Amino acid sequence: MSLARYAVRRILQGIPVLVGVATITFFLSNAIPGNPVDIMLGPSPSQAQAEAIRSKFGLNRPLWVRYVNYIGDVSPIWIATTSSFPFVELTYGVDLGNSIYYWPTSVTEKIMQRLPQTLLLLVSTFTFALPTAVALGVVSAHRRNRPTDHVARVLSLFGVSTPSFWIGLMLIIIFSFHLNVLPSTGLVMPWADPVEVGMETQLGVVLVSIQHLIMPTITLGTLQMAAVTRIERSAMLENLSKDYVRLARAYGVQENKILRKHAFRPSQLPVITIVGLNLTAALGGAVLTETVFNINGIGRLIVGAISRQDYPLIMGTTLFFGVIFVVGVIITDISYAYVDPRVSYGEEEA
Amino acid sequence: MAQRDKEFGSGRGGQVERDVAEPSEGGVEQEEIETRVGWRYTLAQVRNDPTAMAGLAVVAVMTTVAVLATIDGYVLDYWVAETFWYHPLNDPNTVQQLLPPVGFENVNGQGTIDHPLGTDRRGRDMLVRLVYGSRIAMTVGFASTSIGMLGGTIVGAVAGFYGGWIDDVLMRLAETLYAIPFLVLVIAFMAAFGTNIWFAMVGVGVASIPTFARLIRSRVFSVREEAYIEAARAAGVRDRRIILRHIIPNSFAPVLVQATLQIGVAILIVAGLSFLGYGAQPPTPSWGQMLSKSRDVMLNSVWMSVWPGLAILVTVMGFNMFGDGLRDALDPRLQN
Repeated sequence: MSLARYAVRRILQGIPVLVGVATITFFLSNAIPGNPVDIMLGPSPSQAQAEAIRSKFGLNRPLWVRYVNYIGDVSPIWIATTSSFPFVELTYGVDLGNSIYYWPTSVTEKIMQRLPQTLLLLVSTFTFALPTAVALGVVSAHRRNRPTDHVARVLSLFGVSTPSFWIGLMLIIIFSFHLNVLPSTGLVMPWADPVEVGMETQLGVVLVSIQHLIMPTITLGTLQMAAVTRIERSAMLENLSKDYVRLARAYGVQENKILRKHAFRPSQLPVITIVGLNLTAALGGAVLTETVFNINGIGRLIVGAISRQDYPLIMGTTLFFGVIFVVGVIITDISYAYVDPRVSYGEEEA
Repeated sequence: MAQRDKEFGSGRGGQVERDVAEPSEGGVEQEEIETRVGWRYTLAQVRNDPTAMAGLAVVAVMTTVAVLATIDGYVLDYWVAETFWYHPLNDPNTVQQLLPPVGFENVNGQGTIDHPLGTDRRGRDMLVRLVYGSRIAMTVGFASTSIGMLGGTIVGAVAGFYGGWIDDVLMRLAETLYAIPFLVLVIAFMAAFGTNIWFAMVGVGVASIPTFARLIRSRVFSVREEAYIEAARAAGVRDRRIILRHIIPNSFAPVLVQATLQIGVAILIVAGLSFLGYGAQPPTPSWGQMLSKSRDVMLNSVWMSVWPGLAILVTVMGFNMFGDGLRDALDPRLQN
């Protein structure tokens, strides 16, 4: 199977997963007891009022109709009925509907409004976690059973065992309350208007933004860093004991070069996989990190939506998370197949 | 024997081998010796690994504490705690709110040995609440992992054994569950069915099914090609029996390792859930909820946020250390 065919097949496999995510979130969020009408109108609304609101949000129709409509709305291509020949036509575009709590803001708008904060947090997290983890893993494998290795292993053991939000709380206590050097809440975007932030130059804004980012990044990144370090280390150890490395050593190839070329490159494969899979874990962790640091990102949006029974918002944000995950996994799978052609030539998909 | 040496790789394998394998146990079938030596080898490996044993000790202590606390809580209605110690739920008679740990001093007074870890905002002893909070972590950890392991093993074994469209459907389902962040899935689950620690348990369990399913499926792919499966098929053994008696037992080792690590993950997730308010409801103590309550007094009463976090850290680390040791013993390629 060529790489292109593999890629197409992988993308097609993503579609049922997304339909599945949409289905699960639809039925799960509709199973949440009580409904937004009660929350909006208070304890005893008049019959007519409640009915008006119900029909406004389409809650008066049967569940399966709402389900079919929802799947139709979120599908990029869907078949709609028309009154004229040929009676059906294709509709294009994704419509996540409107939020009930933030009426009449659309869910897409709300997500786009919150997305930059979460994205900034995630990007900064992975730029911190990945290089650190790869370096730690390589050094740890190279100096196996020496003090450096022990330190790296203890660090990564702590990293995978510590609740991330607790790291956040401890950092706030130390750096915000006692040393008073880092801000404990909110996030400033590096491209924000200097006037709004109260700085004079754009550079000042960037610096403030970095200050705000340091603690959330460590909070969210420690687990990722530790997990990747462990994988990097064991992959390096495995590759360092391979026959071709021993052969290279026998030939007198320098240890540095062996590390850099022969062992390092194949060791990145499992790391690629785990980063793709960990994307959801990181998004889940973002919920906690955003709560601890009062960052208005998608994580808090989704938790707020669940507690306010804002169906469209719950479904929209979860589906959005699903899309990010599926795209992430597809990209990792394809890049994996690109790096290691055996994957796509084999009959088993990754 | 030479066979085993090769299997367990170079170096230390041969040496350990001599300690473990007793020569020739006459009359026992060849295959039986092989498996038994395999398990004994693994146990010996774990026993020789101080990190793994330390982890096991932590796990054992925490489990014992949690079991005793559960018995006291459910059967004796906190009689033991109230008589010999403090009641973990009710407000005490003598109110000493936010007393610091022993050796520290603050506006509320000097920390005393009566409350070695200090007291919370309602004057309840921190240590007793930590001990009774272990119930939630351990129960959810073990129970949800059992659910995930059971479900994942069945799904993974069936998918791997049959392959084809069954495999495709099951794996797409698993991927679907995997695509929604654990935390969000469980929160939505609890919002739908009730904020209740039992639902947290089921939710975390269901959400961990894909991890186990993937793992066992990949093992089954190699196991099902073995000669003994073919032999069983040729002898007319039914599929269900082959899966239950041959496929699952022979693919189980990595699942056991994953389960040990998964208990730690589950404890972390439940702590996160409780922190967000979706866990055990007050006054029942849980570590995550204690952390969430500590946020209001974080500035002056640091100990309130330190102890529960440390409790989680130590427990999860115990499971991770033991799981790592188990994995190293089962997979000699990664031996340290």
